[in-house]
Amino acid sequence: MLDSPLTRTTGSDGGEIAVTLEHVTVTYGRQENAKQVAVRDVNLELPRNQVTALLGPSGCGKTTILRSINRMHDHTTGRVSGVIRVGDLDIYARDTQPELVRTRVGMVFQRPNLFPTLSIFDNVVAGLRLNHVKKRAFLLEAAEAALRQAALWDSVKDRLGLPAVRLSGGQQQRLCIARALAVEPEVLLLDEPCSALDPMASAHIEELIVQLSSHLTIALVTHNLFQATRISDRTAVFLLGDENVGKLVETGPTTEIFASPKDPRTEAYVSGHIG
Amino acid sequence: MTLTSEPSTHDPSELLSPASVERRRDVVRQASRSSLRRRRLLGNATRAVCYVALCIALVPLAALVGYTVDRGVQGLSWGFFTQVPAPYGVPGGGIANAIVGTLIIVGLAAVMAIPVGLAVALFLVERRGRVAAAIRFVADVMSGIPSIAIGIYAYALIVVPLGPSGYAGITGSFALAVLMVPIIVRADEVAMRAVPDDLWDAALALGARRSRVARSVVLRNALPGIVTGNLLGVARAVGETAPLLFTIFGSQFLETNPFKPMQAMPLTIYTDGTQADAHLQSVAWATALVLLVFVLVLSIGARTIASYATRHAR
Amino acid sequence: MVHSVGIVTSGGPGAESEAGTRPAGSTSFERRGHVAALIAHRHRRPGGRVYTALRWGGVLIFVAVVVSLVVSLVWQAAPAFRHSGFSFIFSGTWDPDTEKFGAGVFIVDTLLTTGLGLLMAIPVGIATAVALSEFLPRRLAGPLSTAIDLLAAVPSIVVGLWALLILVPVFERDVEPFLQKIPLVRHLFTGEDLGTGILLASVVLAVMMLPTMVALTRVALRGVSVADREAALALGGTQWQVVRRAVIPGARSGIEAAITLAMGRALGEAIAVSLVIGGGVSLPHSLLDTGTTLGSAVVNFFSESSGIQRSAVIGLVVVLLAFTAVANIGGQLLIRPRRSRGYERAEPEEVAPTGEGAPA
Repeated sequence: MLDSPLTRTTGSDGGEIAVTLEHVTVTYGRQENAKQVAVRDVNLELPRNQVTALLGPSGCGKTTILRSINRMHDHTTGRVSGVIRVGDLDIYARDTQPELVRTRVGMVFQRPNLFPTLSIFDNVVAGLRLNHVKKRAFLLEAAEAALRQAALWDSVKDRLGLPAVRLSGGQQQRLCIARALAVEPEVLLLDEPCSALDPMASAHIEELIVQLSSHLTIALVTHNLFQATRISDRTAVFLLGDENVGKLVETGPTTEIFASPKDPRTEAYVSGHIG
Repeated sequence: MTLTSEPSTHDPSELLSPASVERRRDVVRQASRSSLRRRRLLGNATRAVCYVALCIALVPLAALVGYTVDRGVQGLSWGFFTQVPAPYGVPGGGIANAIVGTLIIVGLAAVMAIPVGLAVALFLVERRGRVAAAIRFVADVMSGIPSIAIGIYAYALIVVPLGPSGYAGITGSFALAVLMVPIIVRADEVAMRAVPDDLWDAALALGARRSRVARSVVLRNALPGIVTGNLLGVARAVGETAPLLFTIFGSQFLETNPFKPMQAMPLTIYTDGTQADAHLQSVAWATALVLLVFVLVLSIGARTIASYATRHAR
Repeated sequence: MVHSVGIVTSGGPGAESEAGTRPAGSTSFERRGHVAALIAHRHRRPGGRVYTALRWGGVLIFVAVVVSLVVSLVWQAAPAFRHSGFSFIFSGTWDPDTEKFGAGVFIVDTLLTTGLGLLMAIPVGIATAVALSEFLPRRLAGPLSTAIDLLAAVPSIVVGLWALLILVPVFERDVEPFLQKIPLVRHLFTGEDLGTGILLASVVLAVMMLPTMVALTRVALRGVSVADREAALALGGTQWQVVRRAVIPGARSGIEAAITLAMGRALGEAIAVSLVIGGGVSLPHSLLDTGTTLGSAVVNFFSESSGIQRSAVIGLVVVLLAFTAVANIGGQLLIRPRRSRGYERAEPEEVAPTGEGAPA
């Protein structure tokens, strides 16, 4: 069941950690006394320049945790407790600006969410423009760099002014990745990026992710065990714990998680008995 | 913007080298940080502008209701509701004729409009195809027809052939009904379509034909929405003046026979409010207050039923 | 539990049929339906044929009314059109004595008042909607939106009365003299300060269009999917940047529909306008001039007119109908295609790199 991972280089910076989560709990709900806990007491480290898969069945908190890393819960009723550090920046500290966090930690969503009224070029540089990067020469350079990294440059270099919606699903998702990359984040969060795509397009994206991990820290939420084995260096398994609250059950190198899991629940999950 | 004409002057490997990445990263971070304050400020300023706009939008509402209440209350009295207008120059009197007239005229209009509206809505829900689409389109366009055109139409259809005996309350009712039907059709159709799909599926699974399903199952569930739509139609009709201007002729007397000329509240406001007489203007204000309360009660009632129904769905 | 509902239409008979009877000639499919219905409910059921007849009756009545409306108005207006020909639309002369009838001035005044009204209502309406849907906390936004929606329910005669008795003096005393003092702009506001006039009529129309603008724009803004917002947010945008770059562009077609529908309502408003626009029949030179719109012309001229003049007035109604129909149909077309934009694709496969064509 374990395919050998696609060609990738192991993280060049040895054991350095890019993102740490300490005792992170996320709750939802408007009323003070009616709060729902979505996921409880997560302790997780994302090693630099490696792909960490957040794996588990739906509703176990993996997406919730992912979104807490770039403060996407700010505009919802979600509340995040615990400490999350990107590098040495405590991202939920009182004087930390969420917008600046999000330029360091990029995100790609489940369905491609390009700006429908904009062209391909304008979509790619949208993040730059939002951050008031204006110089045209720089935008062109960043756009090319991002599109090359997303393996899209050759397809679109002659049609950058086309409306972005004309691309196929797989290309749109890659454009979303390019858009996130143009801002040069250190960390890239991917929330089930292939779930809306056909197998061919998925394979391309997976290839892309492996290549990007040579210089980016990547966290990938997936419920597809095979995908995790294919492309991730480390895996964090999320399952439903007591009281229907999500729990991080086990973390470790992907090969170990699948070959010799330590927790019986992990074992049950990876062998298909549950989930 | 044409970007194809600019050839790539970048060497790919250089572009993606760690040094270049680092350089670009610094530029972005720098720009992001230094612009944040300005971006936030702009956002706050725009938010302030939007709040100002909100206040501007609320001012007419407050002024309208405020003045109407203030000036209208002065003219209210028990006699106001029970007496007919006094002769010109004589103080006192009331708008009993207008109130009764409005009730009768709008009541008859509802009796005409509600069944027709329901029938058309059922047709639109049950049938598909081009005929239904055409009728829906017509109904939507009709809902935007100026009420003055409907008034003239009623005049042309009824008063012209019948002569002066065409001036009657029921002529006004007809005009109001024409106004109400598109509103009711749209509200009824929306209400019926909002019935949850599994209700449809369950009934259809029992072997019932689509139209039968529409009738029994859907109608019952859509009833609150239908009642709401009817109430909104009535609320709209109560306040309309133009359909009545050339159809009901008006009357200083209390008339309960709809086949005779009648008075209605909007007409009273229109004729009295435009006089330079302080007493008549005061009557106009008071009538406006009564009309406003009427319309608001109907509208709020409709909303309450609608939200009650959505909360207690099924 | 499902119960059948007998439809009561104007006292029609046949709302019940005996349980157990079947309409003659029914198919087995229908019979199954009947049996199922019998099992499911033990009440009376509406007779199929009567129901269908009543339903068709309603539809036919509706269609007959619409058709007769168009026909009767055009028919009655025909003499005037034949009398004046094309100049009915373009001529600015409206003189009953010489029997010269032209809608030109009324069309200009209608467009002017509606245009000015839109100029005021659109920015305020959109900004208010943004405030309500993006900035205000939910607890405040709800009641305030309801309040503005209720403004839409106020009868136009009440708005007209208030404008006539309250606004006219204010305009005459304060607003118009003030406007006449502002440099540059004051050239738009020459002439006597009467209070009534095109400016006030435009303000009244703006007040009446505002609730429509706010309500429909709010719907459009709320309709923008969370995904679109998140895209801008995740790239490091501030709250306002998200609204400006993702939400408002996404709501554009809804906003356009709001504008067209509001415009349709303003075009057709006759009563309130007739009370405050003053009634002048010559082309306006200043926004303080009195004027007459198509609607207010009908209100003012219809009763006293006869013969060819009456036909001409009905001709004005027809012209007004044409205008409002265009505005309404435009609005319907904008509302209808429920934004399927965004993720449609021209080609399902990968776009192969070709050298063809300059992009749009």
